[in-house]
Amino acid sequence: MAVDVDTKLIRTVCPAHCGIDACGILAHVRGDRVVKVEPADFPNPKYRRICLRGLSSLEITYHPDRLKYPMKRVGKRGEGKFERISWDEALDTIADKFKDIAAQYGWPAIGWTLGGPGAGTTKFGAYLRLASLTQSTRVSAWGYGDSGLPCGSRVLFGTHIPYGMLYGTLFTESRAPDVLVVWGSNPGEAQPLNVMRPIMDAKEKGTLLVVIDPRFTVTASKSDVYLGVKPGTDTALALAMMNVIFQKNLQNDAYILRHTNGPYLVRIDTRKFLRGKDIGAQEENEYVVWDSVSNSFRTRNAAETVPSLNGAYAVEGLECKTALQLLKELAEEYPPERASEITGVSADIISKLAERVGKAKKVTFVTNMGFTRTYHGDISFRAMGTLAAVTGNVTATFKGGHLPAVLNWKPFLHANPDKPSYARLGILQLYDAVISGKPFPVKAVWFSFINFLNQCANSKKIKNEMFPNLDFIVVADLFMTPTARFADILLPVTSYLEFSDFVPFPYPYVQLQQKAIEPLYEARSDVDIAAGLAERLGYGEYFQGGEDAFVDLILDSKDSSLEGITREKLKQGAMPLNSIPEMAEEFDIPFSTPSGKIELYSENLYEDGQALPVYLEPLEVPVSTAKKKYPLAFIQGHSRFRTHSMFANVASLLEMNPEPVVEINPKDAAQRNISANDRVTVFNDRARTTLKASVTEGVGPGVINITQGWWIDQFEEGSVNHLTHDVINPVQEKIYEPNMHMNDVAVEVIKYKEGQS
Amino acid sequence: MKKRLGLIIDQERCIGCEACTVACKIENRGAKGWIRVKTLNVAQKDTPEGRFPDLKMHFFPQLCQHCERPPCVEACPIEALIKHEDGPVSLDKEKCDGCQTCLDACPYDALIFNNEMDKAEKCNLCSHRINQGLEPFCVICCEGQAIYFGDLNDSNSRVAKIIADRETFQLHPDEGTGPGIYYCPPSSPRGL
Repeated sequence: MAVDVDTKLIRTVCPAHCGIDACGILAHVRGDRVVKVEPADFPNPKYRRICLRGLSSLEITYHPDRLKYPMKRVGKRGEGKFERISWDEALDTIADKFKDIAAQYGWPAIGWTLGGPGAGTTKFGAYLRLASLTQSTRVSAWGYGDSGLPCGSRVLFGTHIPYGMLYGTLFTESRAPDVLVVWGSNPGEAQPLNVMRPIMDAKEKGTLLVVIDPRFTVTASKSDVYLGVKPGTDTALALAMMNVIFQKNLQNDAYILRHTNGPYLVRIDTRKFLRGKDIGAQEENEYVVWDSVSNSFRTRNAAETVPSLNGAYAVEGLECKTALQLLKELAEEYPPERASEITGVSADIISKLAERVGKAKKVTFVTNMGFTRTYHGDISFRAMGTLAAVTGNVTATFKGGHLPAVLNWKPFLHANPDKPSYARLGILQLYDAVISGKPFPVKAVWFSFINFLNQCANSKKIKNEMFPNLDFIVVADLFMTPTARFADILLPVTSYLEFSDFVPFPYPYVQLQQKAIEPLYEARSDVDIAAGLAERLGYGEYFQGGEDAFVDLILDSKDSSLEGITREKLKQGAMPLNSIPEMAEEFDIPFSTPSGKIELYSENLYEDGQALPVYLEPLEVPVSTAKKKYPLAFIQGHSRFRTHSMFANVASLLEMNPEPVVEINPKDAAQRNISANDRVTVFNDRARTTLKASVTEGVGPGVINITQGWWIDQFEEGSVNHLTHDVINPVQEKIYEPNMHMNDVAVEVIKYKEGQS
Repeated sequence: MKKRLGLIIDQERCIGCEACTVACKIENRGAKGWIRVKTLNVAQKDTPEGRFPDLKMHFFPQLCQHCERPPCVEACPIEALIKHEDGPVSLDKEKCDGCQTCLDACPYDALIFNNEMDKAEKCNLCSHRINQGLEPFCVICCEGQAIYFGDLNDSNSRVAKIIADRETFQLHPDEGTGPGIYYCPPSSPRGL
């Protein structure tokens, strides 16, 4: 690399929270300043990459609005009046306050609300370690839009993150799929490098690209087939595709038999699985199948059994059907014509796509968390995953373990093995914990890596009911975000160029986010901040050595994939994981479900009416054409100009994309006398949001879109999350953690009128 | 045959992200990015044409075409614009007196006027980089890996092979400028 002699090149990583893109960055440092960033080399040149946000990241580091020193609130909460204090005063105040609150309510009353750490590890791990040592509460942020997917995936596959099983092969050198279905996701903007590039590579090799999305996104613009589905109706679409596949007998019976619980018998009276004890077998709890050779019940592992996949069977009055039979009967209720009415996709396309998927040798389903941000988004995921399973397209060759074990955070937890770990709350459960003390009171909240007020559902409730019920709010951030304004103590953190971290991405590599310059102003890294507080709470011994020690803690964690990888070596560049999961042609995955198989039928959800991936109407999205008070479905796509609410204040990006707009179909706009660039008000019973209209065919009639992440103060009034609701889906709560349903919201839009707020 | 450095822009892979624009601005410190991304056939960028759900949306990165016979060079009264032997057309900013003749002469709307400095600006194919054996900055920063750089006259180069193997087009061939930038058009949706 040719640069002048005064320039040092530091290899680091942009860890922004855009999934796990984790672009390797070469920082050009002159004196104490980074003067340029560029995409760093990788052993495989295909991984050299950067995006427009990463390119603009120096504007974050050197932003004039950076928080420069610790501050304490002097005005009312939210007023934004602060006074500079020293780090000692800030940390002493926090420690004292935490101790007071813990003395009165117990340590679980301290809630660590940690949002997205991006690709980073130690900065997140440091807070988890402190939460664990103090036995306070970790508020999991999966539920701020992301937990619908793990809820569905846990039921179906028994795994939290299903990407490996669905599209892990995109990241290996294996054959391109015949058909690639991108469902409810826009990697073209949200994950352009890690996901969209391999999608385009596959298409170049001949893969047929299908995109299912309510918006005609950048990803859709690359598709061979686009299905403009109504938000929240994906399950009906998947069931109709299964309808066609079953009708034409295109399912993969051998796969279903081997990898799913499809052949297991379900009792018609209880709707629970028939068990060994029901047929007098020794293996009392074992699942039972119908042996088509002996025409009798057999436990599933009995020798020389040929299980029937379909049908109803009765012995001595005990009526049963196979799980697959029950799924088929559900799918029968959704012929393409019916699904067309629900989803808005033509019956002809549904039929043809189903046939194509059924006949293809290999179909890859790519998804993320967009279509699971609806009230029944967990079922949407199950329905799509079930479709993938019955057609044999859940990859049994790419064991879910493509992420190094570090992500279970084990190296950071149980620093003191004698102590139990933290209490846990989902982020949506935090509302109640603060407002009504249920299931236990939370009185102080620490916000890191999250712009809570901006990004969480139902802003007014947060501002008017939640924040006033908190005795103490700490915010660690780079900027005076809408959330930071409500802090009692505000701590300035470093940008990614000012601290070191371990980054276990992109697969199959790991990288070192290497400190390029000393922290600016009085900013400190999260590890340093946690250490300073730990010291004051009596846990300083677990935080010695700063970021480097925590990076080593992971590298020395005896994970076989990290063997031989050292911090020194990583300073030179990315290193491949030492061991990569086996890629045998096919083997039985021990799915972590109750049956150890993919669960087409989940008996644990029978009482909830969700044993099968049933189509249930969205909570708010108006599906039927009946006249409704709020007739428009409001969804929030992702923009390439931001990563959630990060980069919303970067000048060169604002130059290209200056303000929030609401996308509305010309038909809906005309009905409301709205023209392009009019100021309009989007409203429902919760709030009003005023912004500019963009009249576009990019959204279908009945749907409006505002990309998420704009800061509240960038709207004339309201914001996206002023319009969203915080209703908890109890089934998601039962499975894992309730989700926020940002894409399941009903609104009306009118031309803006003065003085009508 | 002499070198003819140029680019191929693959519209099939361009995702309209504008990373090239940001990259250019960072690398060349221009008033604007010297490569700009338009959305084809619509007034408002990132907007599809057609009627929902029968839509299409294609992106068109626009920049200096590094012509074989560049009208801007011919038009510049003070020889501030230079056609280099190996392909690039560059502008000597020191020399430029801001007369804007070149802006009118260019059929590709590729020159930009920097009001603050009262001078024209344009893409020079990152000649400071290519002289060091590096690729233009927009090429290495392209999210879609949609810009290919190389010697168009070297039949073994990747760019020459793409031109030989794939459908490509040049802008305004009728103008007789001999552009050094080729475009691969987006493929048509294959349907079901």
